[in-house]
Amino acid sequence: MEIRLENINKIFKGDKKKGVEDTIAVSNLNIKVNNGELAGLLGPSGCGKSTTLYMIAGLKEPSSGNIFFDKEDVTHLVPEKRGIGLVFQNYALYPHMSVYKNIAFPLTNLKVLTFKQSIKVKTLELLISLLDNDKYLEIKDLINSSTLDSKKINKDLALRNLINKYHISPSFAKTLFSLDYSSKENINDVIIKAKEDINKEKEKLSNKGFSIDNEYYLLDQDNKRIEEKRKLSKDEIDILVRDVAKLVQIEEQLDKKPKELSGGQQQRVAIARALVKKPRVLLLDEPLSNLDARLRIKTREEIRRIQKETGITTIFVTHDQEEAMSICDDIFVMNNGKLMQEGKPIEVYKDPKNLFVAKFLGTPPINVFKGEFKDNAIFVDNEKILDNVTLTNEYEDKSSLEVYVAIRPEGFIFEDNNETLGLSLKVNEISLSGKEQTLICSHNQRLSEQIKIVIDGDNPISIKEYRFKIKPNKIHLFDLKTEERIYFKDISK
Amino acid sequence: MENKNNFKGWIYLMPAIILIALFTLYPLINTFLISFLQDYKYATGSSSGFTFDNYAVLLGIKEFPDYLTGKGQIDAFFQYALPNTLLITFITVPISIVLALIIAVALNSIKKLRTLFQTIFFTPYVTNIIAVGMVFGVLFSQTGLINEILGTSISFIPNQGSEAPTYFHAMLVLCIEIIWYELPFKILVFIGGLQSIDRQYYDAARIDATPKIKRFLHITVPFLSPQILYVSITSFIDGFKEYQAIAGLFNSRGTTSLNYNLYTCVYFIYDQIQTGGQNINYACAAAVILFVIILLFTLLQLYVSKKRVYY
Repeated sequence: MEIRLENINKIFKGDKKKGVEDTIAVSNLNIKVNNGELAGLLGPSGCGKSTTLYMIAGLKEPSSGNIFFDKEDVTHLVPEKRGIGLVFQNYALYPHMSVYKNIAFPLTNLKVLTFKQSIKVKTLELLISLLDNDKYLEIKDLINSSTLDSKKINKDLALRNLINKYHISPSFAKTLFSLDYSSKENINDVIIKAKEDINKEKEKLSNKGFSIDNEYYLLDQDNKRIEEKRKLSKDEIDILVRDVAKLVQIEEQLDKKPKELSGGQQQRVAIARALVKKPRVLLLDEPLSNLDARLRIKTREEIRRIQKETGITTIFVTHDQEEAMSICDDIFVMNNGKLMQEGKPIEVYKDPKNLFVAKFLGTPPINVFKGEFKDNAIFVDNEKILDNVTLTNEYEDKSSLEVYVAIRPEGFIFEDNNETLGLSLKVNEISLSGKEQTLICSHNQRLSEQIKIVIDGDNPISIKEYRFKIKPNKIHLFDLKTEERIYFKDISK
Repeated sequence: MENKNNFKGWIYLMPAIILIALFTLYPLINTFLISFLQDYKYATGSSSGFTFDNYAVLLGIKEFPDYLTGKGQIDAFFQYALPNTLLITFITVPISIVLALIIAVALNSIKKLRTLFQTIFFTPYVTNIIAVGMVFGVLFSQTGLINEILGTSISFIPNQGSEAPTYFHAMLVLCIEIIWYELPFKILVFIGGLQSIDRQYYDAARIDATPKIKRFLHITVPFLSPQILYVSITSFIDGFKEYQAIAGLFNSRGTTSLNYNLYTCVYFIYDQIQTGGQNINYACAAAVILFVIILLFTLLQLYVSKKRVYY
């Protein structure tokens, strides 16, 4: 489903008597998330990203503007009718319920519109199909192999194996378990009995004026299926819960209480609970912030996999740019309640529209210097770092201008006898991490706290001053006042 | 070194230990002992030996010895005091807990006038039960406000109208008063508990389209279960010890001055002391019986709570 936010504003009212000003949490926000996409709302804390998420969920109402799910305007719709799944930052799992009950809880509230089905005929046919043609031997083997340490058959294990293998409800598994598999005659009797029962049931239904189609739906006299609105049965809930538990890989934990699980497992339970009712949208509020670094990387890939498998439109809030960059189809960078830039992560990274986005994305962060554009060249501290360029767009007629020069850490090239173009940096620290090395340097025109550059690990570097060449496509210029991007182009050819 | 410290510690504890030993421990043991003495004389401290008869008489197994006076009163323990105590406890405690829970949830969900309502619901807590009894007595008298509103002239209170009340009507007013009086403390405890429940659980439940009543039963009640256990144990104990409310409201042992049908256990015990202490061994036995009942119920609740209370 496509999600669209149009001109959304959210103002938290202050108290004028006490001199507390209104807080503008979100201002004039326009966002479009395409169907089946994983979108990331990214920004520093307090930028309004969580507020935006809660407005999409319906737990907060926007002060003005509209929210659309596809073509439906849901701005004033209560959260329970929006059909969303939400994973909270601290999961909000019910501590007094088992994992199974936590996941099943949303389903117990659900009312579904379906067609009436003859469950009895359906289960009997299923029974016959599982037993007929000596297929019962498979079941027999499965039950007989369901032993723990002792040689005795463990009933719970046998039931679980049956449920997992044949994808059946627990009550049906019990029926299968209770059958006598000792001889073929016994099984044949069961099949004959089942066939009789099916005919009886069909007769009973036809007396009432119903017939049954191939998928066991009841048909009325006009051969139409009969609609009914009802709650899910226990068996249906069980199948859904086990399906989603399998998807997030917590089948083994279903009987435990949330407290007994690790952070990563709790996270999966929270996702399972959000997914089990098959929502139209999945919303995740800082889902990884409570996990340790290694688990975070694993879980974010997990989220990506689950999202791809279910194809559900997902919005994901995070302050960690690396997280957003690594799994999102689209990212929306926010600051102070405003949308700064949107697009594919790599495009936003390569082409930041303003200084905020440039600084926010990338590890190590971008290095910012105070510099100057003059004589068709870019200077930092009177060193020419790039020449034969001219400014474009609204800056085209400018022949000289003071600018911010921002250079990505990977934009520096080490050359031994660099004479012409480049930037002199004093290397203070070197940290080598295998194939590359990170240099912490100083420069008197720097604006960022540290200058960090990343170069090939083979370069012989020691603690002293070097002159580095700069890759032109890693240089971004920004206006001193507006902090907007200034584009330039190469005029050497 | 350790011994020296221990000695010092005991000295520091002495004032408290002496007071507790004198006014709690000694009476406690003495009560237990006296409850097993036959023909105990309060004034002289003399008795004719150990016996289980005091208990047997109180529980209606044996006849009250005819050489003693006060047979009617003693018989009233098993006939009226014990049943009344159980009745009052099992009616007022569950009703007041459920009511307090509902009021606490309601108070917690409003923003305007919340402090006003909180104050209103809290006033009984700072009011004396004797004063409350007197006000209820006036309200429920045969020409009082309640009869005025109902358009009837039912007698609720003994000695406050032309006719004697029925047992049912007297008990009704008593239970209403006790419930009303017991509410504020429970509301206070529940509101405290409610405010510590993370709002996110309710948000999560709303997202999952959980109906309000289900949110109350599946989120509020389990999260409040420690408070509910605490309130239920303390109010069961209070209920079993009910005396003041009856004294304040009725100032009478029965619906008429001739019988004892509004007796409770503690009322019975106090009465034995009041009448010169001639049957004080029976009062002691009654106190031990009450203690055993309270102990059993508390243990039962703790047992149930192991499965039903989530911390």
